[in-house]
Amino acid sequence: MVLIVALIIGTVLFGIGLYGALSQTNLVMIMMGVELMLGAAMLNLVAFWRYLYPDVYSIQMFVLVTMTVMALEAAVGFAIGTQRFRTKGSVESEEAADLKG
Amino acid sequence: MMELRITLLVIMGLIAIWFGWRVFRTNSMVRSAFSLLASMVAIGGMFLVMEAEFLGVLQIMMMGTEMSIMAIFMMMYMMDPGGLGQMDMKHQEKPSIVVAVATGGLALAVILLTKWGRIISEAPTPAQQNHDLGIEIMERSMMLFESAGFSILTAMVAALATVLIIHNNYKKEN
Amino acid sequence: MSAVLSWIIIGILFSAGVYFVALLERWSMSGRIEWSGPFHSFLQAFGQEEIRTRRYDTVFYEATPVIFIAVVLLSITILPFAEGTVILDLGTAALFINAALVYIMVSLIMAGWSANGVYGMIGGWRAMAQLIAYSMAVVMAITAAVMRAESMGMLEIVQSQAPLWNIIYQPVGFLLFYFAAMAMAFLPPFDLPVAEGELAGGAWAEFTGTRKILFRLGRLLLILTLSLAVSVFFLGGWLGPWLPGFLWTFIKTALVAASFFWVGRYFPRIRHDHLLEWGWKYAVPAALFNILQVGILLLL
Repeated sequence: MVLIVALIIGTVLFGIGLYGALSQTNLVMIMMGVELMLGAAMLNLVAFWRYLYPDVYSIQMFVLVTMTVMALEAAVGFAIGTQRFRTKGSVESEEAADLKG
Repeated sequence: MMELRITLLVIMGLIAIWFGWRVFRTNSMVRSAFSLLASMVAIGGMFLVMEAEFLGVLQIMMMGTEMSIMAIFMMMYMMDPGGLGQMDMKHQEKPSIVVAVATGGLALAVILLTKWGRIISEAPTPAQQNHDLGIEIMERSMMLFESAGFSILTAMVAALATVLIIHNNYKKEN
Repeated sequence: MSAVLSWIIIGILFSAGVYFVALLERWSMSGRIEWSGPFHSFLQAFGQEEIRTRRYDTVFYEATPVIFIAVVLLSITILPFAEGTVILDLGTAALFINAALVYIMVSLIMAGWSANGVYGMIGGWRAMAQLIAYSMAVVMAITAAVMRAESMGMLEIVQSQAPLWNIIYQPVGFLLFYFAAMAMAFLPPFDLPVAEGELAGGAWAEFTGTRKILFRLGRLLLILTLSLAVSVFFLGGWLGPWLPGFLWTFIKTALVAASFFWVGRYFPRIRHDHLLEWGWKYAVPAALFNILQVGILLLL
């Protein structure tokens, strides 16, 4: 029961993050959607660790790696956004149609 | 005890969901970044309720710094950081709602229809968890930890290399 | 002595510590010790007019002083005053204090942004630049202390210093944590966020009256908490020959707090790019060397 509650919360957060990542135009907002999705995935992982396998610590290792990935993709994403802002003047995805057609 | 945990999980989950929803609904950019911070802190609180103490404290610490950095980048790059301009910043809204609801529904079906097995009611104490996590990192997951460290270094170097402007001050001789 | 009596004595000593730090703060700015100065300014703040800017951000403006002082009180609860005298004995307390003190910086950013004024906003973002500079030094110095104790709990960290205090065992770590604690409490010379003469009060510029008192009181509590953390991690907490444990704790805390104010008088305000250079080019390799040294000493 408590496992299902935690997983449902994770699912709703994942859905909100997916909506945000798909529907926002600005790069920073898309990254915030991705951060929400990764946070929801970590919540699911910790729920599985606690209620199904509390003595398997590679699940906690997975959570640590996911946290690392959250930080790293934010860093590299902001570097790319900075360089884009310098050359083009905005980080909107609507104006990033250079390779289209 | 389990009822108290379920209640706390539901309360913090509703806080996380509400602040997560507010991220994409508010017009002020810095408020959006800090409501994402509140959502992440609620997720960290849920980790603490689920007795993963190290992960909860780590999540709260890292998300504080990360969301503040996101706030300053939002202020730099977005057109309307104060939120007083009432812009609409969405595109393809209907398809994204459909995709999000479909994914959520699929995951919900999987959650409710699976036989999860026996739920274990006792978890190790935090001191034992830290010790065993350390042993796990040092013995079985050492390769994973080393490659995570290496990828952190690579990402730092890559991010800086993308952004740094190197001025070549060579004097032209002719 | 009974638990209630020792908690009462600890509460009285803590309030005396706050009064002492307030005296020192006034001394470091004016050079005189005014014994009634703290009470005077505390009472004066209640009579001050509450001035607000025109279109301030209500949510952040109201929430920031509460977050500031709540974070400091939260980090007091996990620090031990004597053997077994800790309000909340967490298993991961050494990381928790770092996690809680990051939210000081979040509160300063909120304070700078909420007031809708330029000087405040710059003060807030400078607080974040300072955090990025000193954060690695703090975490790595704490890591070296945790390595010696083989546990993240505060009681075990103090107990592991019974043979030899950490200031002698890992002096580089002590220096890094000392200066990073000064930066964390934004004391001079690291007081970029609330730069007095330069930014007209910085991140706190637009706060008056009771909110300002919450900030200032919170900052004094923060200085005392960081001194307590320095003495727990590196100076051996409650360990000492004749006096009871909590007296030793308070003597060490008061000495560290006084030395924060005394050391800071000798440098001008450090600019944020110099601070970042010192933090990442010199402090991080020194912290890594410290971890290496502690590891070698532990394995011998």
